[in-house]
Amino acid sequence: MLQVVADGLIVGSVIALGAIGLTLTFSILRFANFAHGEFLAWGAYLALSALAAFVAIGGASAADATGWAAPFAPLSFGWPLVAALAVAMLVTALMAWALDWTLFRRLRVQGAITLVIASFGAALALRNALFFLYGGIPQYYAQALQIGIPFLPRSVYGGLRFTPDQLFVLLLALLIVVAVHLFLSRSTLGRAMRATAHNPALARISGIDPERVLRATWLIGGALAAVAGVFVGLTVQIRPTIGLDLLLPLFAAAILGGIGSVWGAVLGGLIVGLAESAAVTLVGAEWRAAAAFVVLIAILLVRPTGLFGEKS
Amino acid sequence: MAAALVIETLQAGYEPGLPIVRGASLQVEAGEILALLGPNGAGKSTLVKAVAGLVAVSAGRVLLQGADITQVPAHRRLALGLAFVPQTENVFANLTVAENLELAAALQGVKPRQRLPELYRRFPDLDRQRSLRAGRLSGGQRQMLAIARALILPPAVLMLDEPSAGLSPRLVGEVFLSLRVIRDEGVAIVLVEQNVKSALAVADRAAVLVEGIERVVGPAAQLQGDPRLAELYLGRRSVTAPAGAI
Amino acid sequence: MDLQGVLSYAGFFLVFASCFAIIVLGLNLQWGFTGLFNVGVAGFVAIGAYTSAILTTPPTPERLGGFDWPVAAGWLAAMLTSGLAGLLVGLAALRLRHDYLAITTFGIAVVVQLAALNLTVLTGGPFGVHFIPKPLQGWLGTGQEWTLAYLALVATLLLLAYVALERLVASPWGRALRAVREDEEAAAALGKRAFVLRLQSFVIGSALMGLGGAAYAHFVGFIAPEDFLPILTFQLWAMLIVGGSGNNRGAILGAYLVWGFWAVAGGALRGVVPQAEQARAAALQVVLIGVLIALMLVWRPRGLLGEQVAVSRHVEPR
Repeated sequence: MLQVVADGLIVGSVIALGAIGLTLTFSILRFANFAHGEFLAWGAYLALSALAAFVAIGGASAADATGWAAPFAPLSFGWPLVAALAVAMLVTALMAWALDWTLFRRLRVQGAITLVIASFGAALALRNALFFLYGGIPQYYAQALQIGIPFLPRSVYGGLRFTPDQLFVLLLALLIVVAVHLFLSRSTLGRAMRATAHNPALARISGIDPERVLRATWLIGGALAAVAGVFVGLTVQIRPTIGLDLLLPLFAAAILGGIGSVWGAVLGGLIVGLAESAAVTLVGAEWRAAAAFVVLIAILLVRPTGLFGEKS
Repeated sequence: MAAALVIETLQAGYEPGLPIVRGASLQVEAGEILALLGPNGAGKSTLVKAVAGLVAVSAGRVLLQGADITQVPAHRRLALGLAFVPQTENVFANLTVAENLELAAALQGVKPRQRLPELYRRFPDLDRQRSLRAGRLSGGQRQMLAIARALILPPAVLMLDEPSAGLSPRLVGEVFLSLRVIRDEGVAIVLVEQNVKSALAVADRAAVLVEGIERVVGPAAQLQGDPRLAELYLGRRSVTAPAGAI
Repeated sequence: MDLQGVLSYAGFFLVFASCFAIIVLGLNLQWGFTGLFNVGVAGFVAIGAYTSAILTTPPTPERLGGFDWPVAAGWLAAMLTSGLAGLLVGLAALRLRHDYLAITTFGIAVVVQLAALNLTVLTGGPFGVHFIPKPLQGWLGTGQEWTLAYLALVATLLLLAYVALERLVASPWGRALRAVREDEEAAAALGKRAFVLRLQSFVIGSALMGLGGAAYAHFVGFIAPEDFLPILTFQLWAMLIVGGSGNNRGAILGAYLVWGFWAVAGGALRGVVPQAEQARAAALQVVLIGVLIALMLVWRPRGLLGEQVAVSRHVEPR
């Protein structure tokens, strides 16, 4: 039973990170970006390519990385993946911004629905570009399997095991969420972003440059999505469909938490993760995607503005 | 010396081809309050929003202290000295009073320590409610906060869109009193108002906007009791006096 | 390619395009005339296809259903079930802001696909439903003549749907619908009546989607969950966008054009890309159509034929 909760938290923290970026773009750009899931997928694959490049540069092969490329025991990765993650974050952030610049910006005047259609199309193009470039076979950052470390014996509520990678994911996700919160509440740019989400016209006449806020939103959203994507690759696998598979959970989390609320997205992500984990245990792994849908319908029927959302 | 704000035959509206402001011209000097009056739908709000940069301008110019700012994006006009207090949603309701003021200061490159103590002194009500979320303030206090935000750096021109809306007569008096103090510091104030009597009592000059064009402009004292005012508000088009002449 | 081959290919092409045209007419009613944003079209199509398939196929041991119904009854049932699905979705989601409707309908499509994949006892799971009866086969056999006869059948249905929709749109019901679409405040004032209008439109649109799905299923004779992926939704939206939303003729034109583009792009890529990489070529095909849609939206958002209804302004961005 506890393991269900633990697994749910792992999945949930990945969803939470992706949902933060989604809720920011949703509230500041005012449309549902169906391409957000693909930022996660691209982040995962970009890290994969960067990882291969770094390992090759280091003179090692992926299978027996030694020296500087050696994994930080007991984790499955070392500096190469960390560097690859940084590269993935940067490139994905730029990609998100470039997508806005080439496509969404030109359609803003047509209204939110056109933007959603365009984002749906962009998602298809991005996803299939991944298929085209990398093929559809699942890939991994490291080949070695990790053993779960028992934290609680099976006699206590079924026991509790985490792999080192999973613990890393949980910790780093927490750090990132705190960092994002501090940024949004303390820094001028962060507060300008929140102000723009709340009231774009008032923000402008207060001296807030809307272009700067938009740019920051895409860059931050893209970077966070890349981290979430790498986490998926680290804890599950890398496939071109991970973006599509996570899209509904991401939306459910963002809406559950309340559009525009970062902590709402985090809490929403954890709840959706737990729901998925419970669904896998109770109904079967094939139905995991339906769990997010159930959460979504439930919140839309009961409280459409979400847990921490403001009534707009 | 150039007037603080000059509006030259301005045409503006929310949709292209459908101007609401139809060639209005106005001037406001430093250290004076100009009341902008007119019936509903005349375009008063649209005019100040266009000057603020929130509504698209299709013809004419806006000059701020002699400089043409018609093409300047809205978010840069504050730094140039043009402050605007909208009628509704003029504070960030999800931030506290202090956060609203600190954000306004940070955005204009002003250290809170420099300006905020003075603003708190000027608006003691706000001082008392520093950590209250702005959405919870009463109408009058919210208006004060909105004005205080606009005064972080003393603007050359301050525009207010119906600041008296929804306020009791006493509060209206307080708000207008603070406007007088601001005016005495040399700020040019444009006051859009539905409350003709109170507006004329506090203003130096007044202009009446009807269907997007200014009809009557002159000293406020002279406009009080002017029968043409009633006619303009009631819609009779018998006034043929050209703008600017009394 | 000989004439026979060309005719055969053309026949297949036209039948598919006509099935899609029926679906796009339904989408046009929902979006073009009512302003409802349905991102789960594939789900409603799947519901119609599977309903008719399950009801009309002969019984099989692994699967429920197989009632051996006549094809016409199956198609009617398809319209009923997808219309019913539209009713349920509409009741739950139509009052929400439009992007929440989009997300909800997307979720519906995901769940429908999931159900198709996992409710093996009903849908045959990943293997799908085989041996879907082809109408008129008893008389015409399976060759060219049958394809052309089927084309005539679907084209007739398409024509009927078109005429019915045109009359509906021109009727007082249609005018009320347009008023509700264009003026949000009038809609709010009408309150419940506006909601009922939108719901009716959504249900009718969904029913048409189900019919198109059934027509597709009975032509191919075999359906599986991977026939109803998000790419299908996007293709259908592309057809509407290219042809012109708010315009029934545009919807039909868009269906034929986009399907043509899809076929041409696919053929060209297959010719250019080596055999081993065919799967990746298919992916590239999707990228191309995604780019096509993006270009279309940027340069000609009204579509080729534009809106047939005279509107005084764009629908307000919300």
